[in-house]
Amino acid sequence: MARIHIDEFPPYSPPDQAKKENVLMVAKLMVNAALTAPLTGGVPGHEAEIAYGQKELEMIAREMERLAHKEVPKRLKKPFLYEAVMVRESDAIVFLGNKRAHETPMDVGCGLCGGEPDCSFVYDRLNHFNGLIDATDRSRETTVKGPLCQIRAHDLGYVIGSALWMAEEHFVDTKPCYSVGLAGRNIGICMNSELVVGIPIAVLSKNPYVDIPPNYHLTNMAKQIDAVRKITVITRQIPNHPYFTHDAEAKAKSGKKKKEE
Amino acid sequence: MAIYNGIDAAHEHLMDVAKATILAAGKAPTLTHRFELMTEIVTDEDMDPIIDVLATLGENSAFQRHDAVALQSLKDQGKLPPVVLFGADLMKPALWDCGACGFKTCGEYLKFIKDNKGVGVGCYGPSCVWQSIDFGTVCDYACACTARHHVESRIMFSIGACAMMLGHLEGATWVLGLPIGPLGQNLWFGRTAWKDALTFDQRMMTQLAGGPTNQMAFSGGGNPIIKSKQKWWEDPTYMKVEQDENFVEAEANGLAKVYEKIMKYSGVLDDDE
Repeated sequence: MARIHIDEFPPYSPPDQAKKENVLMVAKLMVNAALTAPLTGGVPGHEAEIAYGQKELEMIAREMERLAHKEVPKRLKKPFLYEAVMVRESDAIVFLGNKRAHETPMDVGCGLCGGEPDCSFVYDRLNHFNGLIDATDRSRETTVKGPLCQIRAHDLGYVIGSALWMAEEHFVDTKPCYSVGLAGRNIGICMNSELVVGIPIAVLSKNPYVDIPPNYHLTNMAKQIDAVRKITVITRQIPNHPYFTHDAEAKAKSGKKKKEE
Repeated sequence: MAIYNGIDAAHEHLMDVAKATILAAGKAPTLTHRFELMTEIVTDEDMDPIIDVLATLGENSAFQRHDAVALQSLKDQGKLPPVVLFGADLMKPALWDCGACGFKTCGEYLKFIKDNKGVGVGCYGPSCVWQSIDFGTVCDYACACTARHHVESRIMFSIGACAMMLGHLEGATWVLGLPIGPLGQNLWFGRTAWKDALTFDQRMMTQLAGGPTNQMAFSGGGNPIIKSKQKWWEDPTYMKVEQDENFVEAEANGLAKVYEKIMKYSGVLDDDE
């Protein structure tokens, strides 16, 4: 008979690891759902990757923190830092990337990218030969290399939606993030895609992606737990006593009694 | 107490499912946290102008004809399902300065769109890439909701584009249409009404145009034969790239006709003009 003990705390303990394995199953189902999402013309064009494990998630959180301090505009600094905390609290991350928006447009002249009834807006601004876009130059002057085919980009929304819906069906909390997607893409996850979105997923009694207090990157639970470890060690050195031969509490009580007599 | 015709009762229930899809769409998590959904349910004779414009567009394009034929046939059978229109103003930037739209900053983008807003085949632009993605997620939730209700649906560019041109969801830069129903199995795929719309030869020619190499003979000679008939080696046909002035003209005339209809429905033109 096997006994599987499951608990969410402490993180990465064997009981938590058992829970994480369950979450990984949902992550895989999310990817399946994502791949069956309705797409423009039913054309396939997405890839997925799952990040799982403490080190893997830490690498992503750190790249998010680098982006927060070095690359993204000021208004995104705190959201990126807060979402890095959420990544560390997550059980896994599902990455979804769009392989077409930057390289193989829909070529339908929809008008979304430039408001013209042709695809000139995109092709005039990208390096291409007779309509074949050369995406081999992967250097970027902006966080995302644009312009992109917007109707292809729109497809990524459906892929994300179906993944999120599947997670919801299993009562697993999620939050689709620009920050997580960028960080993953920058460290080689979903490497065929220019547009990548990361969906951290977690099973915790408290949804880790909502109710975020100010300066969350400094005030989150991991920081508070660390503070307890840091402070308790110092504090205990003051009320120390030779416990084997001396019961401080009993002594105090008997002293009190004597006084009353 | 009463006895209902099950099919009729279920058809009426489609309206409730339509409302449920809107609730589901509103519940979709978004990336930008700025996405604002516009939505409307169009039913019965209010679909007529949309079907008419779609059919006019379809005179030169199989894609729109495909949908126009299906909707007209459902209407003729009294089975036209309610259609939920989903739309949004995708021009509003996420303000992330990400560069995905082709401009270095959202400021440069906003400066550009001030003088360069325009319309393509079915949408206004330029747009913010992240709003386009969020719009997809929202529509996906609507689609998933119909699937959960075991109701046929297909999210359609064609219906939305015509509806938008006819003035539905004012302020939206892109509108998509989601028919909720009809009752049945896979009715938006392998469409019954479509079986007489194209000849066998037309179907085969479309396949050939979409994947000519599949029917290409030895290509080493530099002028490859396309195997377009049973005895392909007799009077062979070749692949050729050419301008098609007749088609360009027909397309332009077709579009003029479409705009005329749109103006008629919006009351700018009288019926007899």
